[in-house]
Amino acid sequence: MEPPTADRPARHLVVIPAFNEEKALPRTLEALRVLPAEFDVLIVNDGSADRTGEVAEAVGRVGNGRVRVVHLPVNGGIGVAVQTGYQFAASRGGYGYVVQCDADGQHDPGLIPELVAECRRRDLDLCVGSRFLGTDGDRSTRLRRVGIRVFVALIGRLSGVRLTDPTSGFRCAGPRAWRRFARSYPEDYPEPESLFWCARNRLRVGEFPVRMHARAGGVSSIRSWRTAYYMAKVTLAILIDRLRRQER
Amino acid sequence: MNAETLMLLGGAAAFAVTLYWVRSRELSERHALAWVVVASLLFLCGLFPQSLTTLAEASHLSYPAAVLFIALGAVYLFAFSVSVAITRVHRRTIRLMQQLALLEERVRELEGGPAAERDHHAPE
Repeated sequence: MEPPTADRPARHLVVIPAFNEEKALPRTLEALRVLPAEFDVLIVNDGSADRTGEVAEAVGRVGNGRVRVVHLPVNGGIGVAVQTGYQFAASRGGYGYVVQCDADGQHDPGLIPELVAECRRRDLDLCVGSRFLGTDGDRSTRLRRVGIRVFVALIGRLSGVRLTDPTSGFRCAGPRAWRRFARSYPEDYPEPESLFWCARNRLRVGEFPVRMHARAGGVSSIRSWRTAYYMAKVTLAILIDRLRRQER
Repeated sequence: MNAETLMLLGGAAAFAVTLYWVRSRELSERHALAWVVVASLLFLCGLFPQSLTTLAEASHLSYPAAVLFIALGAVYLFAFSVSVAITRVHRRTIRLMQQLALLEERVRELEGGPAAERDHHAPE
């Protein structure tokens, strides 16, 4: 891959995983117009059954080449979709930071440049947008907050890194993190697990206060009947990752 | 060695095997959860053998241990190998699907999609 140079400054990639988000996607993409010119946008249509792909393509055509669309032929899950974005960055080259931002309007794309600036200023490998460091905004349901606290305690105990919002899907990854994610990334509910991997393998992780909105459309991939599976799977994954050798 | 000890050892071994395979990434956490449950049940049967007898009497099975060992042993070996195989196949399928999607995007671009237009007729 071509490394960024003085004449060719690093571009950044915003990855938008989208599964059945035809209703929310146009507004999210409209909000992405405020991004400075060094940002490219990649929409990963995760095998949607609705018109997400067409909507994304239509926006991509007027996006002056800055908006690309990748269609996964079948639904792979959030982790697979986001990893496809990291693989896109790795295969194209020239990207500095890769930002993950949800298609459903929960995350404010206007904050992306600040997230990247924070990552660069503190020399972080992974900077997570935390809804709990800010003063207002949507703080999710009570049940999910309990789950989040469990992960905070688990990750803190096993890696020594204290964070407030390990399940946040609004995050900025530096090259050391996203190159590894392009090779290996959890398939479902990837956020706490990948965060733990970074913390444990001595990558620099940090948080940045963000305001989150309630979902604009679609259905969250974490529904109440799946919460038990979600908690058990992520806990097991983190505990077992602790048993693996450190990679760096 | 009596049946209780055997179940205790079997449960512990099942637990160790599950952890070992997940640790080496040959078995996914998703498929391992059920096996952790099986291992725990076996272990508990060894700890509280009376529960098995109570169950056997309640369901009118006169020779519970034989049924348990033969059935469980066979099912365990077979089904575990299936879980491992599924994990491996699944990972390959995902990687192929991602490559396919990225290549398809590249082809569209080279055939004159939005990105190609930008490169050839850059307005400013």
